[in-house]
Amino acid sequence: MTAPTAQERKTCWGARDRYWQCLDESNKDSSECRKLRTVFEGSCPQQWINYFDKRRDYLKYKEKMQREGFQPPENVTKL
Amino acid sequence: MLDHLGTNQLYCSPSSGEGLITESLSIPASQITATRPNCPLESVQCIPQLTICKAPSQHTRKKPQFQTEGRLLRIRSLLSIYYLAPRIVHISPGSSTLVTHRPFSQSKSDRSSGRQVVSPKIRLRTKFMVICVCGAAVMGLWFYVHLEKEQQQKMRRQEQLKKLALGQGDFNLLDHTGRSRTKKDFSGQWVLLYFGFTHCPDICPDELDKISSVVQILDKERALSPVQPIFITVDPERDGVEEMARYIKDFHSRMVGLTGTAEQIKDLGKAFRVYYSVGPKDEDNDYIVDHTIIIYLLNPDGLFTDYYNRNKSDQEIAESIRSHMKTYVNLFN
Repeated sequence: MTAPTAQERKTCWGARDRYWQCLDESNKDSSECRKLRTVFEGSCPQQWINYFDKRRDYLKYKEKMQREGFQPPENVTKL
Repeated sequence: MLDHLGTNQLYCSPSSGEGLITESLSIPASQITATRPNCPLESVQCIPQLTICKAPSQHTRKKPQFQTEGRLLRIRSLLSIYYLAPRIVHISPGSSTLVTHRPFSQSKSDRSSGRQVVSPKIRLRTKFMVICVCGAAVMGLWFYVHLEKEQQQKMRRQEQLKKLALGQGDFNLLDHTGRSRTKKDFSGQWVLLYFGFTHCPDICPDELDKISSVVQILDKERALSPVQPIFITVDPERDGVEEMARYIKDFHSRMVGLTGTAEQIKDLGKAFRVYYSVGPKDEDNDYIVDHTIIIYLLNPDGLFTDYYNRNKSDQEIAESIRSHMKTYVNLFN
Protein backbone atom coordinates (compact mmCIF):
# COMPACT_ATOMS: atom_id res chain seq x y z
CA MET A 1 0.00 0.00 0.00
CA THR A 2 1.59 3.22 -1.10
CA ALA A 3 1.66 6.33 0.96
CA PRO A 4 -0.83 9.08 0.18
CA THR A 5 0.36 11.75 -2.22
CA ALA A 6 0.40 15.43 -1.36
CA GLN A 7 -3.01 15.92 -2.90
CA GLU A 8 -4.51 13.02 -1.01
CA ARG A 9 -3.05 14.34 2.19
CA LYS A 10 -4.66 17.72 1.59
CA THR A 11 -8.04 16.17 0.90
CA CYS A 12 -7.81 14.12 4.08
CA TRP A 13 -6.84 17.12 6.19
CA GLY A 14 -9.65 19.22 4.74
CA ALA A 15 -12.24 16.55 5.55
CA ARG A 16 -10.82 16.18 9.04
CA ASP A 17 -10.97 19.92 9.65
CA ARG A 18 -14.57 20.16 8.50
CA TYR A 19 -15.54 17.23 10.68
CA TRP A 20 -13.83 18.71 13.71
CA GLN A 21 -15.43 22.05 13.07
CA CYS A 22 -18.84 20.45 13.02
CA LEU A 23 -18.11 18.69 16.31
CA ASP A 24 -17.02 21.95 17.88
CA GLU A 25 -20.07 23.86 16.75
CA SER A 26 -22.88 21.42 17.35
CA ASN A 27 -23.82 18.30 19.19
CA LYS A 28 -21.77 15.21 18.48
CA ASP A 29 -24.66 13.06 17.34
CA SER A 30 -26.12 15.40 14.75
CA SER A 31 -26.68 14.02 11.30
CA GLU A 32 -24.57 16.74 9.75
CA CYS A 33 -21.55 15.60 11.66
CA ARG A 34 -22.23 11.98 10.86
CA LYS A 35 -22.19 12.81 7.17
CA LEU A 36 -18.90 14.60 7.50
CA ARG A 37 -17.53 11.66 9.42
CA THR A 38 -18.33 9.41 6.49
CA VAL A 39 -16.55 11.77 4.10
CA PHE A 40 -13.61 11.91 6.46
CA GLU A 41 -13.40 8.16 6.67
CA GLY A 42 -13.47 7.93 2.91
CA SER A 43 -10.59 10.34 2.34
CA CYS A 44 -8.07 9.03 4.82
CA PRO A 45 -6.39 5.70 5.49
CA GLN A 46 -7.72 3.85 8.52
CA GLN A 47 -4.52 4.32 10.49
CA TRP A 48 -4.81 8.03 10.02
CA ILE A 49 -8.39 8.08 11.20
CA ASN A 50 -7.44 6.27 14.39
CA TYR A 51 -4.52 8.65 14.82
CA PHE A 52 -6.64 11.75 14.27
CA ASP A 53 -9.32 10.52 16.66
CA LYS A 54 -6.74 10.01 19.36
CA ARG A 55 -5.30 13.40 18.57
CA ARG A 56 -8.67 15.04 18.95
CA ASP A 57 -9.23 13.38 22.31
CA TYR A 58 -5.84 14.59 23.42
CA LEU A 59 -6.51 18.15 22.26
CA LYS A 60 -9.85 18.25 24.07
CA TYR A 61 -8.27 16.90 27.24
CA LYS A 62 -5.52 19.46 27.06
CA GLU A 63 -8.09 22.23 26.62
CA LYS A 64 -9.99 20.97 29.64
CA MET A 65 -6.81 20.90 31.74
CA GLN A 66 -5.98 24.43 30.75
CA ARG A 67 -9.48 25.59 31.60
CA GLU A 68 -10.21 23.73 34.79
CA GLY A 69 -6.89 22.54 36.11
CA PHE A 70 -5.98 19.05 37.14
CA GLN A 71 -8.37 17.12 39.41
CA PRO A 72 -7.21 13.72 40.57
CA PRO A 73 -9.82 10.95 40.49
CA GLU A 74 -11.61 10.34 43.76
CA ASN A 75 -10.88 6.80 44.81
CA VAL A 76 -7.14 6.96 44.42
CA THR A 77 -5.36 5.98 47.60
CA LYS A 78 -2.31 7.95 48.51
CA LEU A 79 0.90 6.04 48.85
CA MET B 1 62.86 120.81 54.92
CA LEU B 2 63.07 122.08 51.42
CA ASP B 3 65.86 121.60 49.01
CA HIS B 4 67.03 123.90 46.30
CA LEU B 5 64.04 123.15 44.11
CA GLY B 6 61.77 123.87 46.88
CA THR B 7 60.73 120.33 47.24
CA ASN B 8 60.69 118.30 50.27
CA GLN B 9 62.58 115.20 50.07
CA LEU B 10 62.89 112.35 52.30
CA TYR B 11 65.56 109.88 51.91
CA CYS B 12 65.21 106.19 52.24
CA SER B 13 67.33 104.80 54.90
CA PRO B 14 68.67 101.59 53.62
CA SER B 15 68.02 99.06 56.22
CA SER B 16 69.35 96.06 54.47
CA GLY B 17 72.52 97.55 53.15
CA GLU B 18 71.53 97.38 49.49
CA GLY B 19 71.49 100.43 47.47
CA LEU B 20 67.97 101.65 47.35
CA ILE B 21 66.73 103.91 44.69
CA THR B 22 64.67 106.73 45.72
CA GLU B 23 62.09 108.23 43.56
CA SER B 24 60.38 111.24 44.65
CA LEU B 25 57.30 112.78 43.39
CA SER B 26 58.22 116.39 43.35
CA ILE B 27 55.58 118.97 43.45
CA PRO B 28 56.60 122.55 42.96
CA ALA B 29 56.39 124.52 46.11
CA SER B 30 53.95 127.02 44.60
CA GLN B 31 51.34 124.35 44.40
CA ILE B 32 51.79 123.25 47.88
CA THR B 33 49.67 124.73 50.44
CA ALA B 34 50.02 124.00 54.01
CA THR B 35 46.45 123.42 54.43
CA ARG B 36 44.09 122.56 51.69
CA PRO B 37 40.46 122.58 52.66
CA ASN B 38 38.12 119.97 51.22
CA CYS B 39 40.90 117.91 50.05
CA PRO B 40 39.78 114.36 49.54
CA LEU B 41 42.03 111.78 50.95
CA GLU B 42 42.41 109.99 47.66
CA SER B 43 43.84 112.91 45.91
CA VAL B 44 47.49 112.47 45.35
CA GLN B 45 48.22 116.13 45.13
CA CYS B 46 47.45 116.74 48.73
CA ILE B 47 50.49 114.91 49.74
CA PRO B 48 53.44 117.22 49.30
CA GLN B 49 55.99 114.72 48.54
CA LEU B 50 56.23 111.13 48.31
CA THR B 51 59.34 109.16 48.45
CA ILE B 52 59.14 105.72 47.10
CA CYS B 53 61.76 103.38 48.28
CA LYS B 54 62.09 100.58 45.81
CA ALA B 55 64.37 97.65 45.62
CA PRO B 56 66.66 97.83 42.54
CA SER B 57 64.70 95.19 40.63
CA GLN B 58 61.61 97.20 40.64
CA HIS B 59 63.12 100.44 39.52
CA THR B 60 62.05 100.07 35.92
CA ARG B 61 58.59 101.18 36.73
CA LYS B 62 58.23 104.68 35.56
CA LYS B 63 55.08 105.77 37.17
CA PRO B 64 54.88 106.10 40.87
CA GLN B 65 53.34 103.01 42.28
CA PHE B 66 50.86 104.80 44.39
CA GLN B 67 49.26 106.60 41.51
CA THR B 68 48.79 103.50 39.46
CA GLU B 69 47.70 101.70 42.51
CA GLY B 70 45.09 104.32 43.15
CA ARG B 71 43.83 104.04 39.62
CA LEU B 72 43.84 100.29 39.82
CA LEU B 73 41.96 100.41 43.06
CA ARG B 74 39.35 102.63 41.52
CA ILE B 75 39.00 100.37 38.50
CA ARG B 76 38.95 97.33 40.68
CA SER B 77 36.26 98.72 42.88
CA LEU B 78 34.14 99.59 39.89
CA LEU B 79 34.60 96.15 38.40
CA SER B 80 33.85 94.46 41.65
CA ILE B 81 30.63 96.32 41.94
CA TYR B 82 29.66 95.39 38.43
CA TYR B 83 30.59 91.74 38.56
CA LEU B 84 30.09 90.83 42.11
CA ALA B 85 26.72 92.48 42.41
CA PRO B 86 24.79 89.68 40.69
CA ARG B 87 26.26 87.30 43.17
CA ILE B 88 24.73 89.13 45.99
CA VAL B 89 21.73 87.01 46.60
CA HIS B 90 19.29 86.95 49.34
CA ILE B 91 16.27 84.75 49.75
CA SER B 92 13.27 86.85 50.44
CA PRO B 93 11.15 85.41 53.18
CA GLY B 94 8.09 83.53 52.15
CA SER B 95 9.13 83.04 48.56
CA SER B 96 10.68 80.05 46.95
CA THR B 97 12.76 81.82 44.32
CA LEU B 98 16.21 83.24 44.67
CA VAL B 99 16.30 86.98 44.36
CA THR B 100 19.48 88.67 43.18
CA HIS B 101 20.24 92.21 44.09
CA ARG B 102 22.19 94.46 41.75
CA PRO B 103 22.91 97.71 43.48
CA PHE B 104 24.03 99.55 40.33
CA SER B 105 21.76 97.86 37.89
CA GLN B 106 20.44 100.04 35.09
CA SER B 107 17.13 98.35 34.26
CA LYS B 108 14.17 99.69 36.09
CA SER B 109 12.14 96.53 35.81
CA ASP B 110 14.74 94.61 37.73
CA ARG B 111 14.67 97.09 40.45
CA SER B 112 10.93 97.22 40.61
CA SER B 113 10.22 93.50 40.45
CA GLY B 114 13.30 92.41 42.29
CA ARG B 115 13.22 89.01 40.55
CA GLN B 116 15.88 87.51 38.46
CA VAL B 117 15.46 83.91 37.28
CA VAL B 118 18.27 83.57 34.76
CA SER B 119 20.61 81.42 36.83
CA PRO B 120 18.05 78.93 38.22
CA LYS B 121 16.72 78.34 34.67
CA ILE B 122 20.16 77.46 33.40
CA ARG B 123 20.81 75.22 36.36
CA LEU B 124 17.54 73.36 35.80
CA ARG B 125 18.38 72.67 32.20
CA THR B 126 21.81 71.39 33.05
CA LYS B 127 20.32 69.24 35.79
CA PHE B 128 17.88 67.78 33.31
CA MET B 129 20.59 67.12 30.77
CA VAL B 130 22.82 65.53 33.36
CA ILE B 131 19.97 63.23 34.41
CA CYS B 132 19.31 62.29 30.78
CA VAL B 133 22.95 61.51 30.14
CA CYS B 134 23.21 59.44 33.29
CA GLY B 135 20.02 57.57 32.42
CA ALA B 136 21.27 56.85 28.93
CA ALA B 137 24.58 55.62 30.32
CA VAL B 138 22.81 53.28 32.75
CA MET B 139 20.58 51.92 30.01
CA GLY B 140 23.54 51.44 27.73
CA LEU B 141 25.40 49.57 30.42
CA TRP B 142 22.41 47.34 31.16
CA PHE B 143 21.98 46.59 27.47
CA TYR B 144 25.65 45.70 27.08
CA VAL B 145 25.52 43.39 30.09
CA HIS B 146 22.37 41.77 28.70
CA LEU B 147 24.04 41.13 25.34
CA GLU B 148 27.11 39.69 27.02
CA LYS B 149 24.94 37.34 29.07
CA GLU B 150 23.11 36.15 25.95
CA GLN B 151 26.39 35.56 24.21
CA GLN B 152 27.69 33.54 27.14
CA GLN B 153 24.54 31.44 27.25
CA LYS B 154 24.84 30.71 23.55
CA MET B 155 28.46 29.64 23.91
CA ARG B 156 27.63 27.42 26.87
CA ARG B 157 24.82 25.72 24.96
CA GLN B 158 27.06 25.11 21.99
CA GLU B 159 29.71 23.57 24.22
CA GLN B 160 27.14 21.24 25.74
CA LEU B 161 25.83 20.14 22.36
CA LYS B 162 29.34 19.55 21.09
CA LYS B 163 30.01 17.36 24.10
CA LEU B 164 26.99 15.24 23.21
CA ALA B 165 28.73 14.54 19.90
CA LEU B 166 25.67 13.13 18.20
CA GLY B 167 25.91 11.55 14.82
CA GLN B 168 29.38 10.16 15.19
CA GLY B 169 30.39 7.50 12.81
CA ASP B 170 29.75 7.13 9.14
CA PHE B 171 26.68 5.91 7.29
CA ASN B 172 26.22 4.34 3.90
CA LEU B 173 22.72 4.73 2.63
CA LEU B 174 20.87 4.89 -0.64
CA ASP B 175 19.41 8.17 -1.75
CA HIS B 176 16.14 8.55 -3.61
CA THR B 177 17.90 8.12 -6.94
CA GLY B 178 19.40 4.84 -5.86
CA ARG B 179 22.89 6.25 -5.44
CA SER B 180 24.95 5.26 -2.46
CA ARG B 181 25.77 8.10 -0.08
CA THR B 182 28.11 8.40 2.86
CA LYS B 183 28.65 11.15 5.37
CA LYS B 184 31.68 12.40 3.43
CA ASP B 185 29.48 13.29 0.47
CA PHE B 186 27.91 16.00 2.54
CA SER B 187 31.01 17.41 4.18
CA GLY B 188 31.62 21.04 3.31
CA GLN B 189 27.88 21.72 3.49
CA TRP B 190 25.53 22.66 6.27
CA VAL B 191 22.97 19.88 6.63
CA LEU B 192 19.43 19.88 8.00
CA LEU B 193 18.48 16.34 8.92
CA TYR B 194 15.00 15.02 9.63
CA PHE B 195 13.92 11.50 10.54
CA GLY B 196 10.44 10.49 9.48
CA PHE B 197 8.45 8.15 7.29
CA THR B 198 6.29 8.51 4.21
CA HIS B 199 3.07 7.22 5.79
CA CYS B 200 3.17 9.96 8.37
CA PRO B 201 -0.31 11.55 8.85
CA ASP B 202 0.56 15.20 9.37
CA ILE B 203 3.72 15.86 11.37
CA CYS B 204 6.37 14.82 8.83
CA PRO B 205 4.85 16.81 5.96
CA ASP B 206 4.62 19.84 8.24
CA GLU B 207 8.22 19.56 9.35
CA LEU B 208 9.50 18.94 5.83
CA ASP B 209 7.54 21.97 4.63
CA LYS B 210 9.18 23.96 7.39
CA ILE B 211 12.65 22.74 6.37
CA SER B 212 11.93 23.64 2.73
CA SER B 213 10.87 27.10 3.84
CA VAL B 214 14.03 27.53 5.92
CA VAL B 215 16.23 26.52 2.98
CA GLN B 216 14.35 28.92 0.74
CA ILE B 217 14.85 31.78 3.18
CA LEU B 218 18.57 31.08 3.39
CA ASP B 219 18.88 30.59 -0.37
CA LYS B 220 17.81 34.19 -0.84
CA GLU B 221 21.00 35.37 0.84
CA ARG B 222 23.74 34.88 -1.66
CA ALA B 223 26.52 35.36 0.83
CA LEU B 224 25.58 32.18 2.67
CA SER B 225 26.50 28.73 1.45
CA PRO B 226 23.51 26.58 0.42
CA VAL B 227 22.00 24.35 3.09
CA GLN B 228 21.38 20.69 2.27
CA PRO B 229 18.10 19.22 3.55
CA ILE B 230 18.08 15.47 4.13
CA PHE B 231 15.12 13.26 4.96
CA ILE B 232 15.93 9.86 6.44
CA THR B 233 13.27 7.25 6.89
CA VAL B 234 12.66 5.39 10.12
CA ASP B 235 10.43 2.97 8.26
CA PRO B 236 12.87 1.15 5.93
CA GLU B 237 10.44 -1.73 5.56
CA ARG B 238 8.01 0.31 3.51
CA ASP B 239 10.08 3.26 2.36
CA GLY B 240 12.38 2.13 -0.38
CA VAL B 241 14.05 4.25 -3.01
CA GLU B 242 10.92 4.74 -5.11
CA GLU B 243 8.73 5.64 -2.20
CA MET B 244 11.29 8.17 -1.05
CA ALA B 245 11.53 9.69 -4.52
CA ARG B 246 7.76 10.01 -4.75
CA TYR B 247 7.52 11.51 -1.32
CA ILE B 248 10.20 14.17 -1.41
CA LYS B 249 9.32 15.63 -4.76
CA ASP B 250 6.60 17.60 -2.99
CA PHE B 251 9.25 19.45 -1.01
CA HIS B 252 12.41 21.43 -1.77
CA SER B 253 14.17 20.49 -5.01
CA ARG B 254 17.51 20.00 -3.28
CA MET B 255 16.10 17.64 -0.66
CA VAL B 256 17.72 14.24 -0.54
CA GLY B 257 15.93 11.19 0.80
CA LEU B 258 17.96 8.42 2.36
CA THR B 259 16.97 4.88 3.04
CA GLY B 260 18.71 1.61 3.73
CA THR B 261 18.39 -1.69 5.49
CA ALA B 262 16.77 -1.99 8.88
CA GLU B 263 20.19 -2.59 10.42
CA GLN B 264 21.71 0.53 8.90
CA ILE B 265 18.78 2.67 10.00
CA LYS B 266 19.00 1.22 13.48
CA ASP B 267 22.70 2.15 13.75
CA LEU B 268 22.06 5.62 12.46
CA GLY B 269 19.17 6.06 14.88
CA LYS B 270 21.45 5.07 17.75
CA ALA B 271 24.10 7.53 16.66
CA PHE B 272 21.61 10.38 16.57
CA ARG B 273 19.64 9.13 19.58
CA VAL B 274 16.49 9.08 17.51
CA TYR B 275 13.65 7.20 19.14
CA TYR B 276 11.36 5.32 16.78
CA SER B 277 8.90 2.54 17.39
CA VAL B 278 6.61 0.77 14.97
CA GLY B 279 2.96 0.90 16.06
CA PRO B 280 0.37 -1.89 15.92
CA LYS B 281 -0.47 -3.13 12.44
CA ASP B 282 -4.07 -3.22 11.32
CA GLU B 283 -5.75 -5.51 8.83
CA ASP B 284 -4.27 -3.61 5.90
CA ASN B 285 -0.86 -4.04 7.42
CA ASP B 286 -0.79 -0.33 7.83
CA TYR B 287 0.88 1.15 10.85
CA ILE B 288 2.18 4.40 12.21
CA VAL B 289 5.73 4.79 13.45
CA ASP B 290 6.10 6.79 16.60
CA HIS B 291 9.33 8.83 16.50
CA THR B 292 11.10 11.89 17.87
CA ILE B 293 10.24 15.03 15.97
CA ILE B 294 13.53 16.86 15.73
CA ILE B 295 15.44 18.66 12.99
CA TYR B 296 19.20 18.30 13.33
CA LEU B 297 21.76 20.79 12.10
CA LEU B 298 25.19 19.48 11.07
CA ASN B 299 28.06 21.80 10.27
CA PRO B 300 30.35 21.43 7.22
CA ASP B 301 32.62 19.14 9.25
CA GLY B 302 29.71 16.77 9.76
CA LEU B 303 29.49 17.59 13.44
CA PHE B 304 26.20 17.97 15.25
CA THR B 305 25.72 21.65 16.00
CA ASP B 306 22.12 22.30 16.97
CA TYR B 307 18.59 20.89 16.97
CA TYR B 308 15.09 22.35 16.49
CA ASN B 309 11.79 20.99 17.72
CA ARG B 310 8.22 21.55 16.58
CA ASN B 311 7.87 24.86 18.37
CA LYS B 312 10.53 26.63 16.33
CA SER B 313 9.24 28.54 13.32
CA ASP B 314 11.04 28.65 10.00
CA GLN B 315 12.23 32.20 10.67
CA GLU B 316 13.69 31.24 14.02
CA ILE B 317 15.51 28.26 12.56
CA ALA B 318 16.88 30.36 9.69
CA GLU B 319 18.11 32.96 12.17
CA SER B 320 19.81 30.29 14.27
CA ILE B 321 21.52 28.76 11.25
CA ARG B 322 22.72 32.18 10.17
CA SER B 323 24.34 32.79 13.53
CA HIS B 324 25.96 29.34 13.52
CA MET B 325 27.37 30.02 10.09
CA LYS B 326 28.83 33.27 11.31
CA THR B 327 30.43 31.60 14.31
CA TYR B 328 31.77 28.81 12.18
CA VAL B 329 33.42 31.19 9.77
CA ASN B 330 34.96 33.11 12.62
CA LEU B 331 36.41 30.17 14.48
CA PHE B 332 37.65 27.80 11.89
CA ASN B 333 38.53 29.80 8.81
